[in-house]
Amino acid sequence: MDDNPADIDLAREILSQCKHHFRVSSVSDGVEAISFLHRQGGYEAAPTPDLVVLDLNLPRKDGRAVLQELKADPELSKIPVVVFTTSQANADVLRSYELGANCYLRKPGNLADYRTVVQSMADFWLGFASLPQKERR
Amino acid sequence: MPVNSSVDRALAEEPSDGSRQGTEAQPGVRAGGAEDPGRAAEKLRALIVEDDASDIELVVHALSKGGLVVERDAVQTASDFKERLRKKSYEVVLADYRLPGWNGLEALEILRQEGLDIPFIVVSGVLGELKAVECIKQGAADYVLKDHLARLPNSVRRAIREKKLRDENQKALQELARSNRDLEQFAYVASHDLQEPLRMVATYTQLLAERYQGKLDANADKYIHYAVDGAVRMQMLVQDLLTFSRVGRGGIEPKPVDVKEVVDGVLLNLHAAVEESGAQIGCENLPTVVADRLLLSQLFQNLIANAIKFRGPGTPRIQVSAIQEEREWIFSVRDNGIGIAPEYAETVFVIFKRLHTQAEYPGSGIGLAICKKIVEQHGGRIWLEAEEGPGCTFKFTLLRPRAGGAYDHAAAH
Repeated sequence: MDDNPADIDLAREILSQCKHHFRVSSVSDGVEAISFLHRQGGYEAAPTPDLVVLDLNLPRKDGRAVLQELKADPELSKIPVVVFTTSQANADVLRSYELGANCYLRKPGNLADYRTVVQSMADFWLGFASLPQKERR
Repeated sequence: MPVNSSVDRALAEEPSDGSRQGTEAQPGVRAGGAEDPGRAAEKLRALIVEDDASDIELVVHALSKGGLVVERDAVQTASDFKERLRKKSYEVVLADYRLPGWNGLEALEILRQEGLDIPFIVVSGVLGELKAVECIKQGAADYVLKDHLARLPNSVRRAIREKKLRDENQKALQELARSNRDLEQFAYVASHDLQEPLRMVATYTQLLAERYQGKLDANADKYIHYAVDGAVRMQMLVQDLLTFSRVGRGGIEPKPVDVKEVVDGVLLNLHAAVEESGAQIGCENLPTVVADRLLLSQLFQNLIANAIKFRGPGTPRIQVSAIQEEREWIFSVRDNGIGIAPEYAETVFVIFKRLHTQAEYPGSGIGLAICKKIVEQHGGRIWLEAEEGPGCTFKFTLLRPRAGGAYDHAAAH
């Protein structure tokens, strides 16, 4: 969930080179993000994600609000959320964890680190970590 | 200044009861005299602190003779003085020293308490040098003997001129401070907001380099390299500019800090560089000062890191020490490195100014600018000590808390 297509492309690019295969969906604002998760408003066929990667600065509905809504919903709250943002502000880190973020990662400024971060994120959350079994809806 | 009889007549026409009504002097009224007709008399709003009515007249007379038409009020007591000051604005206060139940020094004190910066001239009989000096020390602009009242007009003019200059100076300083704040705000916002687009440029040029290196022609490889390199350097500059504009943003928190502890912490941070260079670092006589611990730590870190970075061929030796002066500590960080030519003693502190190419010594030219900003935010000065021989010595001052002050007390614990 990121309003910057360059970031989404970059993440897709890096994930496509991973040894695992992922289905990557993206939305570019907070309202769409919520629709996607609730499978409404054109997203009726959307899958329930195993992992949400969320930027904090989203148009229409802020990433923090999306996080809050997601973690307040009993069904969605089990999905791990990685906040992935440029903000270095400690206040943002604190607030994100308070709202129930499972991890806070800062977007690195160079490709090598960016790749490491995205790959480690995928390896950890989608490889090593045990996630709740999804009930097929 | 030409003297003529019409001045005396004009004087007689002025109300002597100190009432404000009709005291607005009309230069035209007295223009019929022999005085230079082209020159309008200067009006002067004066508050005279004097218990002797005839002395008041003498003072007004002397001023008129000197071409100053006085719109004057006169008071005798401290409470009247205070009241007058609150009611009306004056260009000058002319005060006798000996007053019934109080004196000129107390009048000066009242002026200060009221927060007024009005030129204050003591007009008195013989005072004696000690008292006169005391008045000047306490802020009186001048001291004029009643026997020499002819001096008074020029004394008043000078005092008013000086006050005007003070005001202009003050205004210019305020303006400068404001524009500095604007500039800092701009630097902060710009460097903050530049980071995001810059991240895109850097990442994608790197991706281009990775993917198309060797697949286009040789020029393309070179051009992509330039773009990658430029973006990375700009990121470093923007990051450092952000660091610079963050220094002291939101104020500094001065507390008693053991400088030895700070330097030890810095050496821990610089552990890798110290190991790698084999630098020997000595500390001597480092006191406890009142400063912002984080900023002080950054200051020493920048200076010591520079000393290591710009080392000579031999073992780097760095000495950190302090000397106690009456009102301040003078710290010095001395090294035996490549040194800095004296003509660059000032330039090195200017933001983005560098003396070397990126290939020789990489950097953004911001470290010493940060040092300067930190020292100045603590009310100190920083400079490069002029000296012969290898290496260089940076010195800076930090104010010592006043003896017996709260800081000394706190520092003792």
